[in-house]
Amino acid sequence: MADHPRRLKRSGLTMPIVTERFINNAWHRGCDFINMDLEDSVPPNLKDVARNLVRQSIPVVNKGGADAVCRINHDLMEADLNAAVWPGLMMVNYPKAEYAHEIRRMDEIITRLEAERGIRPGAIEIGANIETAVGVANAYEIVSASPRIRDFGGASGYDMSRDLGVEMFVGFDQFVYGKGEVELTARALGVEPHAAPFTPNLTGSVSDPDRAFAEADAARRCGFRIGGGLHPNVVEPQNRGFTPTDDEVADAHWVLEQYRLLSRSGDTWIQTEDATGQPRIIDRYEAARAQELLQWRALCEERDREKSEAISRVRAAEEHAE
Amino acid sequence: MPANDKIRRSWLLVPMSRPERVLSAHQAGADVVILDLVEFVAEPDKPAAREVVAANLSAVKAGGAEVFVQIDPELMLADLRAAVWPGLNGVVVSRAESAEQIAQIDATISSLESERGLLPGSVEMVAGLETAPGNHNGYEIATASPRNWGLTLGRADLIMDLRPEPSGEIHLMQYLMQRLVTIAAAAGKTPLGASWRHPDRGLLATPANTLAAARRGRAIGFKGSFCVLDNQVAPLNEGFTPTGVEVAAARAVRQAYSDATESGTIAAVSHDGRILTADIARQYANVLALSDAIATREMFKTAAVEGRPVPVP
Amino acid sequence: MTILVRRSNLMVPASQHRMIRWAWNRNADAITIDLQDGIPDAALETARETLQSAVAQVGKAGAEVFVRVNAAYVYADVAAAMCRDLRGIVLPGAESRQHVAEADAILTELERHHGVELGSTEIIPSIETAAGVWHIREIITASPRIRQVCIDEAELAASLGIVQGADPDPFVYARGRLCIEATAAGVQPIAVADPMGLSTENLSHDDLVQIATDARNLGFKGLVCPHLNWVNPVNDAYTPTESLVDYYTQVREVFAQALAAGTAAAPFAGRMIDVPVDEWAKDVLAMSAACAARDAEKQTAHEKARIWQETAP
Repeated sequence: MADHPRRLKRSGLTMPIVTERFINNAWHRGCDFINMDLEDSVPPNLKDVARNLVRQSIPVVNKGGADAVCRINHDLMEADLNAAVWPGLMMVNYPKAEYAHEIRRMDEIITRLEAERGIRPGAIEIGANIETAVGVANAYEIVSASPRIRDFGGASGYDMSRDLGVEMFVGFDQFVYGKGEVELTARALGVEPHAAPFTPNLTGSVSDPDRAFAEADAARRCGFRIGGGLHPNVVEPQNRGFTPTDDEVADAHWVLEQYRLLSRSGDTWIQTEDATGQPRIIDRYEAARAQELLQWRALCEERDREKSEAISRVRAAEEHAE
Repeated sequence: MPANDKIRRSWLLVPMSRPERVLSAHQAGADVVILDLVEFVAEPDKPAAREVVAANLSAVKAGGAEVFVQIDPELMLADLRAAVWPGLNGVVVSRAESAEQIAQIDATISSLESERGLLPGSVEMVAGLETAPGNHNGYEIATASPRNWGLTLGRADLIMDLRPEPSGEIHLMQYLMQRLVTIAAAAGKTPLGASWRHPDRGLLATPANTLAAARRGRAIGFKGSFCVLDNQVAPLNEGFTPTGVEVAAARAVRQAYSDATESGTIAAVSHDGRILTADIARQYANVLALSDAIATREMFKTAAVEGRPVPVP
Repeated sequence: MTILVRRSNLMVPASQHRMIRWAWNRNADAITIDLQDGIPDAALETARETLQSAVAQVGKAGAEVFVRVNAAYVYADVAAAMCRDLRGIVLPGAESRQHVAEADAILTELERHHGVELGSTEIIPSIETAAGVWHIREIITASPRIRQVCIDEAELAASLGIVQGADPDPFVYARGRLCIEATAAGVQPIAVADPMGLSTENLSHDDLVQIATDARNLGFKGLVCPHLNWVNPVNDAYTPTESLVDYYTQVREVFAQALAAGTAAAPFAGRMIDVPVDEWAKDVLAMSAACAARDAEKQTAHEKARIWQETAP
């Protein structure tokens, strides 16, 4: 697990792989990843066509620096994996994960395909999406089933709501238990938890940039790093919302400086005031958080640079071609 | 309700490396004083801190408090050797993570008890489920030793790095707290904790916010909570005590219910516009029992402070 | 797969003869005769003597009939209740696999004895303690007789030593665990309506519909109704309205056309219709059909019962 670089997943667009113009235009949106969908957005009669498009689409979505992800069909797992696991793919999203044996089976197939197709062993991640009550009940076994699962969350959303027979937008959080179970599982097994703090949403809008930013910002302040969406409008707000601000960076430096002073005093904590006059505690937990924030910010900057360079390269090449 | 009636509402954590805090601890009015060897003692100060535990066990009980020592499972042997002496009521195991670990601690305590002339099994345990694995294994931990009296999330918000949501609730804490209450009650143990909100950071809250946290905590099933400041003790004692209004209501319910059951076979009687069933009557009976037990505990503490002969608790 | 439609389950104390006489006429999907709450031991024997006729009486308009037995007298209570008209029992305080297995064995024995189809009598475990919440999986998978499991929040509050109606809501975890585990096991989670509604007198039909709708949106498939006036609002909340049926019928048409046109998403009435929406539409329409079938069944039985009543001497 530790051998593979951490991939950022602040923003990502999910799109039907059969809609050529979506796939062809997605590269310049600035997504951390692009999720090529073989599942719900592809009509049953086009599943074969869709499968044949994955291999050629990977470099298309990659060219602006986005990582390529493919969401496969729960019931067509083997055929879909065979179509999707090619060099350049970062992750397979597996919907409605319910049992550990499903994940073990996926791991076996991916391991074989990696070997046959010249992909570094263990490189391909599995995104195990928990969308049913059975999946929640078996969360611990599911995450334990493969080291390819490097982040874990879910247990809310449309499929979950259908399984429980609860409506989506009711003004209270219907999914507290399931979200808690999957997050505790992620934390207990040491994979990155991803969760969405509850923000009442009565409309179900998927394209409102302000809302996307507010949600990403709230999630980041809670310590979460993973986003994704359906509409190009939300990409930039998510990248921004999941990236620490300059003020936060300055504050983190201040915390670390205070902690250095504290360490010399023999105390384990002090209460003090920050630059804005707010009472603050300084201790090893605050210091660790500040440290992590600076590391995360550096990763975000590096990732943003990577993407903008890739996009510039493509643009330059296109101009050159003209 | 777990089958124990010990009133332990306020648990004051005192850093063992702070002689002045240790000296004054008996004055705070806490039901329990926890002598800390883990969280508030800097690493280099730990050996000296361990040296002085035994000498202070009885001094901190001068106000009628019980005394626990908080130990670090990674330094279990040294911490337990420092703590298990006559007078000790129990240990708090910080960052408890597995049943095996609890069994080991239990065995070590047992041999120290027999070596040092303590009643076998007299040292109790409170397990701090502060990490994700600890919470995941909570039920196994709770049932791993008969010494276990209580469970707490301790500093889980800090150790698991849980941060405030826009609502002011600390992320995941409602879930973890109710899960802990469930596990504790299922295992016949006592759940300890308070429902802290942002901007209270961990255990560092004003007296007013401490009272609110205690009341919210009690509402979901907690029976007492840890704190780190002397001025948080009184709010915890108050917050985990039924209010006068509650007690009056409970008395009225008891009266109404006994009138009704005596007068006939009516399943439900009306009280304040509410339907009163046997289980609702039982909820209120719990309130009265708790209120009585607290009054007895307070009498004991007052007597201790005044140096009078103490009534048997 | 047929959908179990048991929206309202009206609880009637066995000792309330007037209610036993008239409950059949209130449109409940199910009626539970309660032998537990508020019936003194002395009156139990009398209640048992008339139990079989009470079962027949309350079920004559098509309601499925259950008996809530006493945890301490499962055998005697079931022996008194067992007959062809009995749909099942409510088993209070279920805490373990063993607990359910014992009730299962008793039912099997008495089914054989009374010539009732073996395995046909259901068990609805009632979860009333933290242990029941924690061990929910082993409880609900302990017998194929279990098609529903019930959470009783008033009892749970008493068992946790808290007073319900608290803020914050103390049962988020327990309810969530019940709904997830039950759904995962293919068992319907249901709840006792009373604690969700508190004072029932001041609530209008619309208030009650809202409470039942909230329960549905927490994942519960039906409510145990403590009073007659809950039945119709609960049925209403669980039955898809005509306009909803119209809307989702159109949704299905729009989506089918989209698929035929080679796309899996289509805009309709300001919303994007895709697979999850279509699947939800299927569920709503299936539920609507199942409710209609159940209501027709009850209607037929009701007619018969009414005619019989009128023509009876």
